[in-house]
Amino acid sequence: MIDRRLIQNFDWTLLMLTLIITAIGIINLYSATFPQQNPIWIKQLYWFILGYIALILVFTLNYKHLENFAYHLYALSLLLLIVVLLFGRTILGSRRWIELGLISFQPSEIMKITFVLALARYFSRNPVRSGYSLKNLLVPLMFLMVPFCLIIMEPDLGTALILCIIFLSMLLFLGARWRSFIIMIVGLILTLPAGWLLLKDYQRMRVIAFFNPANDPLGAGYHAIQSKIAVGSGLLWGKGFLKGTQSQLNFLPEHHTDFIFSVLAEEWGFLGSTILIGLYVALIFYGLRVAKRSKDRFGTILALGIVCVIFWQVVINIGMTIGLVPIVGVPLPLISYGGSSTLSMLLGIGILLNISARRFMFQSGRLGF
Amino acid sequence: MNTNAKKWIRFRIYMVLICFLLFFTALAVRAFQLQVLKGEYLRTLAEKEYTGIIRLAQDRGVIYDRHKEILAISSYAYSIFADPTQITDPYSVACKLSAILKLNNRKLLNNLKKKRSFVWVKRQVTDGEAEEVRRLRIKGIHFLRENRRYYPDVYLACHLLGFAGVDAQGLEGLELSYDKYLKTKTGYSTAMRDALGRRIYSKIDFGGSRQGYDLILTIDKRIQHITEMGLKKVSQNTQAKGAMAIVMNPKTGEILAMANYPPFNPNTFLRYPPSVRRNRIITDTFEPGSTFKVFLIAGALEEGTVKPNHMFFCENGNYRIKGTSAIIKDVHQHGWLSASDIIKFSSNIGAVKIGQTLNSSCLFRYIKAFGFGEKTGIDLPGEVRGFINPPIKWSKVDKHYIAFGYGIATTAIQLLSAFSAIANDGVLMRPFVVKEIINKDGKTIKRFAPHVVRRVVSSKTAREVTSILEKVVEKDGTGRMAFLEGYRVAGKTGTARKAKSGGKGYSKDKYVASFMGFAPVEDPQIAVLVVVDEPKGVEYGGVVAAPVFKEITQKTMVCLNIPPQRVLMAQGKPGVLRQWISIIDGNGNKDDS
Repeated sequence: MIDRRLIQNFDWTLLMLTLIITAIGIINLYSATFPQQNPIWIKQLYWFILGYIALILVFTLNYKHLENFAYHLYALSLLLLIVVLLFGRTILGSRRWIELGLISFQPSEIMKITFVLALARYFSRNPVRSGYSLKNLLVPLMFLMVPFCLIIMEPDLGTALILCIIFLSMLLFLGARWRSFIIMIVGLILTLPAGWLLLKDYQRMRVIAFFNPANDPLGAGYHAIQSKIAVGSGLLWGKGFLKGTQSQLNFLPEHHTDFIFSVLAEEWGFLGSTILIGLYVALIFYGLRVAKRSKDRFGTILALGIVCVIFWQVVINIGMTIGLVPIVGVPLPLISYGGSSTLSMLLGIGILLNISARRFMFQSGRLGF
Repeated sequence: MNTNAKKWIRFRIYMVLICFLLFFTALAVRAFQLQVLKGEYLRTLAEKEYTGIIRLAQDRGVIYDRHKEILAISSYAYSIFADPTQITDPYSVACKLSAILKLNNRKLLNNLKKKRSFVWVKRQVTDGEAEEVRRLRIKGIHFLRENRRYYPDVYLACHLLGFAGVDAQGLEGLELSYDKYLKTKTGYSTAMRDALGRRIYSKIDFGGSRQGYDLILTIDKRIQHITEMGLKKVSQNTQAKGAMAIVMNPKTGEILAMANYPPFNPNTFLRYPPSVRRNRIITDTFEPGSTFKVFLIAGALEEGTVKPNHMFFCENGNYRIKGTSAIIKDVHQHGWLSASDIIKFSSNIGAVKIGQTLNSSCLFRYIKAFGFGEKTGIDLPGEVRGFINPPIKWSKVDKHYIAFGYGIATTAIQLLSAFSAIANDGVLMRPFVVKEIINKDGKTIKRFAPHVVRRVVSSKTAREVTSILEKVVEKDGTGRMAFLEGYRVAGKTGTARKAKSGGKGYSKDKYVASFMGFAPVEDPQIAVLVVVDEPKGVEYGGVVAAPVFKEITQKTMVCLNIPPQRVLMAQGKPGVLRQWISIIDGNGNKDDS
């Protein structure tokens, strides 16, 4: 039996926002892949159904159990990352997918959630009032570095960087000593040359192209320029549903995955772009409200971590389609095509709903007043 | 958690929210910058990408005759081009292609070796050639379907229609003068293309361009054919240098037929020299000779200086103009002749005498009024004005020569237009060949109505001249060979010596023989001019050109469904006779007969 209070405290707004963004995702994907023979949007629909089932499952399970099994789930994800490196399918020079019969699966996407889960458990159980010093941060840094290296080896620069950024923003929230921050950032800068060597040629070209896209408009800068053209040509009101030219005519590669936002921006214009950004703002806002309302430290940190996962992917993805961020492979949550990403995002939302609905468990004492 | 910790967390969350909102604001601002501020610029960039300027095979307008029979139509032909960057072995390719397409091997090889991605191999090849080349499956050899102009009746109305070039542009004749209607408006069209340059046909945007309009001519294909056959026959029989003829509706100025001999094939116009392709009816002038007397007598009658029965002494065929050494001769010697008979027998001396009744400026005024020395304004390219000096420049003899058609240069179209004014009750009409311009849906774009230029002489004068001209084709008239049983015909012969090229004086053996006439006199339906250039053997217009006139007129009458009235009368059926009389009195209904 589900507790009645579970329903009372259910965050309907958060779910509605998620559903709306999902619906936009399907419609947009329909347009992005419109003339194609295999209807990708139907595949995505299946993923969404799967994702919502996962969401419901995660919701019914008390997140306290998630806390208990956080490290196990994290370890399982690491295992999957190793499996990928050993047996994964190579697409476009990257080994990111595990083949599971009909579907393929990207463990690095799930890693984003389990990583946050592990951090939330660690930080909630090891509070440091005066701010985390580098010594306090050794374990969390391990949590970061192991998946980071595994993902870099795939290579999947975008996801690896997302992990770093999530880690840093969570630290900012929890409060670390300035010194440890500075050391970490300096460390990161020092490893940059090494990272540069690890990058594949095309990734290096993309970084160069970000700083000067006109340098090679048909090569590395192509994505950046085409994306900006697609977005910009949408003007205020857009070209209309299915009427986008740049994406429909394949000027913009990967427009159903990483560059999905430009399809929307082209067809729905500035109006459509701002509406979608607005929906994300609302989603983030309600996500943070979950963090704020949560009565226990683990719930707050977990909610915040998940919000960070969603937020940074949105900002980096949209940022790269409109030329604010270098091009890295980061999906737009709930809009980009991709099963694993969809699944992990809906799992994340499920966790948020879970935390939100179960705040009564800590209210019970107060009920006596 | 205690309250402090809760407050602390709440504060932190607000900070995070503010940070996040800043990022979102950055996204929105950037989106605004791209989509609103720079949007127009980026949209033009986008359009540049997806719209390729693609030349569509043009559907040039069709040219129809007055009964919507096709005279010129567009079809398709393949053109072969090469992308030299894709050709690995230009030598063997050049060898193979030059053999099939009958091209210069070396020239082709040079083209194929060029460092370009596009060279023509051959434009508009035959289907057989295209098929043979296609079968070779040479990499880098491509085909382009191009519009090709096709004239199904080959020679028919070739000079009138002109021709269109390989890029579907009008080059001569109607194809040139109505090019802006016939051609598709832009000739180019934008079409969507994808990132690989493939055309996306479903999204073709015509961008305001349109299909070519069709022309409906005043020409009647059957009459045109009759005319051309007549010219062919006379030219071959007399071994003439050339010949031309026009059939015109004198009441409206509509040209029913216009032909030059020898003709050319507009489908392969490049094989003919420009002199053959020229529509000499409007581009070339000649001295009309005796046919010009029509306008002289018309002027004199209009001025009242002469009556048809006024008698003139024709000096027995030899007349020296006072004060000069110029001697004017007649072919046949005549004594006294009435003005009417002067025309009938085409006496030059008589014409000079009639001319003497008019002063120079008056004569000149009539010549101008009939349209000589000015373009008729026919809707064909390259018309010339002809030539006539103003009276101030006339020498003592010039006026006398002009009286019988020398010292003046006219085009055939001028001559027939002027003559039609007599048939049309004294009113000069502007000749035209295009009746209507329609679009592909058959909707009228432009309609051309008959255009009155001016009244030249009164209808009384026109009638008087007509009855004089009717006598020309009588048994003893110079134009008797134009006599057409069953129809009343009015006409005038002309036999002009050609001016010697390069020197003064006239050739002794080079003539322009002509005949112009109209029929039926009671209600003129056609005016016809036949001009034969340098016939061998016989030179007289009455002998050479008049029979052609007769043939054309007779057959045209059948085409126009005008029954021969005098035949019925000759059969002696009183009822028919009565009908015929009522017709010529202008009270009857022609359809009753």
